[in-house]
Amino acid sequence: MNTLNVTCRDTTAGPVLDVTGSLDYNHSASLRQEVRLLSLDPGQCLVIDLAGLDFCDSSGISALLAARQHVLAAGADIVLDSVPANTMRIMTMVGLHKVFTLRPAAS
Amino acid sequence: MSGESEPFRAAGNGPDTKATFTALLENSAEELYESAPCGYLSTLMDGTIAKVNATLLSWLGLERDDVVGRMRFSDLLTMGGRIYHETHFAPLLRMQGELRGIALEMRAFDGNRLPVLVSSVIKHGDGGEPLLIRTTVFDATDRRSYEEELLRRRREAERARTEAEQARQQAEAERARLREVLTTLQRALLPDTLPEVPGMEAAAYYHTASPFRLGGDFYDLFSLDDTRWAFFLGDVSGKGPEAATLTSQARYALRAAGLHSPDPATPLATLNTVLLERYADNGDPRYCTALFGILEPGGGGVRVRLAFGGHPPALVLRADGTCEQLFTPGGMLVGVLPSAHFATVETTLAPGDTLLLYTDGLTEARTGSGAETMYGEEGLLSFASEHAPPPPTASSAP
Repeated sequence: MNTLNVTCRDTTAGPVLDVTGSLDYNHSASLRQEVRLLSLDPGQCLVIDLAGLDFCDSSGISALLAARQHVLAAGADIVLDSVPANTMRIMTMVGLHKVFTLRPAAS
Repeated sequence: MSGESEPFRAAGNGPDTKATFTALLENSAEELYESAPCGYLSTLMDGTIAKVNATLLSWLGLERDDVVGRMRFSDLLTMGGRIYHETHFAPLLRMQGELRGIALEMRAFDGNRLPVLVSSVIKHGDGGEPLLIRTTVFDATDRRSYEEELLRRRREAERARTEAEQARQQAEAERARLREVLTTLQRALLPDTLPEVPGMEAAAYYHTASPFRLGGDFYDLFSLDDTRWAFFLGDVSGKGPEAATLTSQARYALRAAGLHSPDPATPLATLNTVLLERYADNGDPRYCTALFGILEPGGGGVRVRLAFGGHPPALVLRADGTCEQLFTPGGMLVGVLPSAHFATVETTLAPGDTLLLYTDGLTEARTGSGAETMYGEEGLLSFASEHAPPPPTASSAP
């Protein structure tokens, strides 16, 4: 069975969420939940580290967009780090490279 | 045996035991007959009671003088017992000479009913002629109540089973009703049939993951004027009733906007505004992927202009068997950014060419568990290449 694991750690620049597993219809809600619990100060930057992501469908993209909305409402910024190649391709195809700051995974 | 207790030792075979038995046991057969733990009676062949023991008299609350020579056996029975006795018991007894353990009901002097088990045997004379009937009567009150308790338990178990079965059937009926409602709702989101476009053939294949998960996909094909046609295909984020609401809004927004614009990107921009106004800033962003196309037949082919809003590429299956992706990058998801840009691409369909549109439900479909088993764009492209050029109805991927 596919799983999703989201852990949070704090850095001086802001919180970092490590996402491991599948951002799919059955699991994306837990990322949304985790993001809702975050309180951000203006000027901070939330980093969502996708190095451990092995699948992302449209509900996963919804969860990432919800995270972006939450962050922007707090006056903070959001970066998607270590984006796997196939997810990067989808993000670019649907124009989200203009919405998110995307950092590709180190190959 | 030495470890056994006192009362058991008295039941042994020693000389003292016989004396104990003699003292305890009936020394007269007459006393045994009168006080036995069952009823005894003897009747003449016509049923007249000739002899009855004290046990039975006390059960029925009768005096010996009122019974002997005055009453028949059937007089001791209830009406039901009497009928059964006349129609079954007595004839069978005469035929077989004996009957054992027949359940009958006796009536006591005070009117109480006494369930009994009756055994009878006919005593014959030396010449074989029947002389009298000997009958023993066992009080079956305890046994009857035991049986009634068993019966009551069984009825309760049967009722519980019936109720469980009814509950199950009800749940099943409700499930079927829900499925029907969802199917009806789903149909409201999609055109019943695609219109006839002169010179072209159109087909749609729609499949949801489960009847309980309303799909977020929508499509339509309609005429703009006498010479031009428009179509769109989209996929809203999420599934279920909320996605269905968004789906119907998207469908009608695109259809209305499409009628007033010569540019296929304009309806997507309209939908973008509609979604942002409706869903922005409520913590639950809603968006969709969509493509909007305009068909302009002329000059032996059809000019296709296609605007992309975050939607996967379209496929063109050429009449010569080649297959190409029709796509332009930079088309933004609809409903994410107020300043979204929707890219447009153009091609011409020649006779025999097929334009194939799909939603990411197809390329995100899993053929097993794990990301590597995704059907994928590559899978779809190679499937399409193998099947080009087909008639539209044959191009439904598995």
